[in-house]
Amino acid sequence: MSIIEVSHLKYRYPDTTELALNDISFRVEKGEFIGIAGGNGSGKSTLCYALAGLVPHFFKGAYGGKVVVNGMEVRKMELEDYVGNVGLVLDNPFSQLTGATNTVFEEIAFGLENIGVEQAEMIRRVKECLDLLQIADIGQQHPFSLSGGQMQRTAIASIIAMHPDVLILDEPTSQLDPAGAEEVFRVVERLAKTGVTIVMAEHNTNRLAKYADKLILLDKGELQAFDPPAAVFTHIDTEQLGVAAPVITQVAKKLEIKNAHTMLYPVTIQEAQQLPRWKETIGKEAFYEISHRELGDNAEEVLANPGNLLQDNEARKYDVNLQVENLTFAYDAVEVLQGITLSFHGEATAIIGQNGAGKSTFVKLLKGLLRPKKGEIRLNGASLEKWSPAQIAGKIGLVFQNPNDQIFKSTVLQEVMFGPSNIGFAEEEARNQALQALEKVGLAAKTEINPYDLSLSERKLVTIASILAMDTDVVIFDEPTMGQDAIGKQIIHDIIADLRRQGKLVLCILHDMDFAAAVFDRIIVFSEGKAAGEGTPLQIFSDQVLLKHAQLQVPVLFQLATEEISAES
Amino acid sequence: MQSMTLYIEKNTPLHQMDPLIKLLLVIVSIAVTYICPNLFFVGAVTLTSLILLSVGRVIHKIFPILALSMILIISIIVVQGAFHAQNATVLFSVGPLSFYKEGLLYALLLTLRVVNMVCIFGVLILTTRPDEMVERLVKKGMSPKIGYVLLSVLQIIPQMRATTKKVSDAQRARGMETQGSLIHRVKAFIPLIGPVVLHSLSDTRERALALELRGFNKQTKKTFLKTQRKYRHQWPQGILLVLIGIAAIVWRVVQ
Repeated sequence: MSIIEVSHLKYRYPDTTELALNDISFRVEKGEFIGIAGGNGSGKSTLCYALAGLVPHFFKGAYGGKVVVNGMEVRKMELEDYVGNVGLVLDNPFSQLTGATNTVFEEIAFGLENIGVEQAEMIRRVKECLDLLQIADIGQQHPFSLSGGQMQRTAIASIIAMHPDVLILDEPTSQLDPAGAEEVFRVVERLAKTGVTIVMAEHNTNRLAKYADKLILLDKGELQAFDPPAAVFTHIDTEQLGVAAPVITQVAKKLEIKNAHTMLYPVTIQEAQQLPRWKETIGKEAFYEISHRELGDNAEEVLANPGNLLQDNEARKYDVNLQVENLTFAYDAVEVLQGITLSFHGEATAIIGQNGAGKSTFVKLLKGLLRPKKGEIRLNGASLEKWSPAQIAGKIGLVFQNPNDQIFKSTVLQEVMFGPSNIGFAEEEARNQALQALEKVGLAAKTEINPYDLSLSERKLVTIASILAMDTDVVIFDEPTMGQDAIGKQIIHDIIADLRRQGKLVLCILHDMDFAAAVFDRIIVFSEGKAAGEGTPLQIFSDQVLLKHAQLQVPVLFQLATEEISAES
Repeated sequence: MQSMTLYIEKNTPLHQMDPLIKLLLVIVSIAVTYICPNLFFVGAVTLTSLILLSVGRVIHKIFPILALSMILIISIIVVQGAFHAQNATVLFSVGPLSFYKEGLLYALLLTLRVVNMVCIFGVLILTTRPDEMVERLVKKGMSPKIGYVLLSVLQIIPQMRATTKKVSDAQRARGMETQGSLIHRVKAFIPLIGPVVLHSLSDTRERALALELRGFNKQTKKTFLKTQRKYRHQWPQGILLVLIGIAAIVWRVVQ
């Protein structure tokens, strides 16, 4: 008997007219690792909820068809009997905390207390999970004091401790840095090997393709495919459904390199490297692609004379000039930033680094939301020391990492108009600015909706619009691609390109290395509160020592081109 | 990161006391100030609460809260001092306002009650781990749901403070002035209220979901991570408090 059997599942949320899930059927065997892929709004989360019993028990609504998990028919069960057998990890780490415990240790034990696990066994399990998720060192910290990545690992540990037979994860890595995300995938894979069945919704198809046995591909609530990743990405143009194929597959498609036995495109780097034709051509191809992206049509010329690259950048005329000198900051006694000195002119800059490296603190200092312990920030020559955050707001815009922290008005239009109205635009002007900005992010049709009724990815776009509408010289994004599908990423890509054309300074904190490499002129690496390195994507991503030190991953395209790059330099 | 509870870790006899006894202490201490409206007695009770705070080495934490209640206290003094129904003896005048002895004495009584209430709650909250208290109550038969509500209420002020900081950052980041004169700050505070409540509500819904996933509504008998701490002298302390309460009632009836 299959551990999960879904037949003709249909579901509609209360007070809506469209089906969130429409006639879904599939079967999963024990110990399989199943990925769910789909664009924003395709029904990934809803399917997760349906497998975990929250649909229909928690969300109510109209339900048809049958979901049987571990021999239990979801609809006929009470949710409480279901808990412990099936675990669900959600995307937002903060709201998964109980808010009633004082330490991570107690937080993980909370569920075990509820299901009546004996004390000795409880302590054993909590310790086991702390080790498994590598968070034993934070066991005695307060859950609310953790970083997003640590919180998410705590949330996963809390669910795993209940020893579910089926573990469902709804975009669990969307708020983690690449190293943290990879760690989650490895833990989950290890669980799958011990016989736990895994179902994971995820945007990052590079990782899904590497770990999942099969993919469920959803679009508008309908099942488009249920096959191994290679088959899905070979036969279906997933891009149209808001799902970017793994980078390897994209390259292989371009070069028409298929596995001769299966007639499928490779989906992981390991798989691709087995193919004879891949080995011959790929390094050069990838390198060519990268250098063209970075240097434009003069690639050959510039490469022949590498010193020209930076001079070329400096020679461009920019209106904005941001200087940071010896910037130092500490929370209580803990030094978070140590003597950062950087200057920015107008090149679109990505800031990368591990969770906790000080990236968000750095941009909050630029915004005046935090005050430096030492050091100075100058915008176009003027020191920002005496400026209040409200005064800085007219010059420097910041899109927060978590849109829920930024949104506070009751309609999308009011939310976006708030900034421009405050910095002195007249009512009518503010409205026009807001409407234009909403047009850019593709939300022009939703001006009168309450932002809290939008999905998380749309809310993020609202917050981006609310900053664009202020028309500041400097625009800072904190993790703009978080939770965005391929279409959302393209929108953000276009916005950044547009800002750059207008001569604005764009700064962007990113965990998405592929996006950083593809979109930005300059990359700064933060590590342990210091600016550990800076340069063009080519310079940074070919610096193995630096990347290792900052514990960062190389974008896939650069992995492919590594040999060529080392030959060049 | 600021601590999320008001509890202050110290090693004093009050910290080692059974939370249930401290809860009883709060009830008795507040009740007797109402049962016996004698100025000297209420003063003595208030003094006792202050001594308890200093025994618990948390007295410095109570002053900011007392300062905050000054607004209430001053209004009591003005209203009662000038307008109390039994006012007869004028003590002094400020401009057109005359203050009377009877009203001021009554105001003093009310003030002492307020101060005592703040202090004795301070003893409970500042020296008791909230989870320890709730666990005691749940083991005594209180529903875990009420226990959870109590715990989250105790954490609500620090959480609200965190949310307020977030919303205020979001507003400042988009050009709203929150610094400067008092009027400016008050003006900046008003637009905060709506979003903070909204945020809390939205958190609540998601948290309900998270609790559901962690078996919070399961009917099984709950187990506990922590071994029950050993408390000393619970019985004598409890009996003493009950006797004080009874004595106050007797005094009132006899009078």
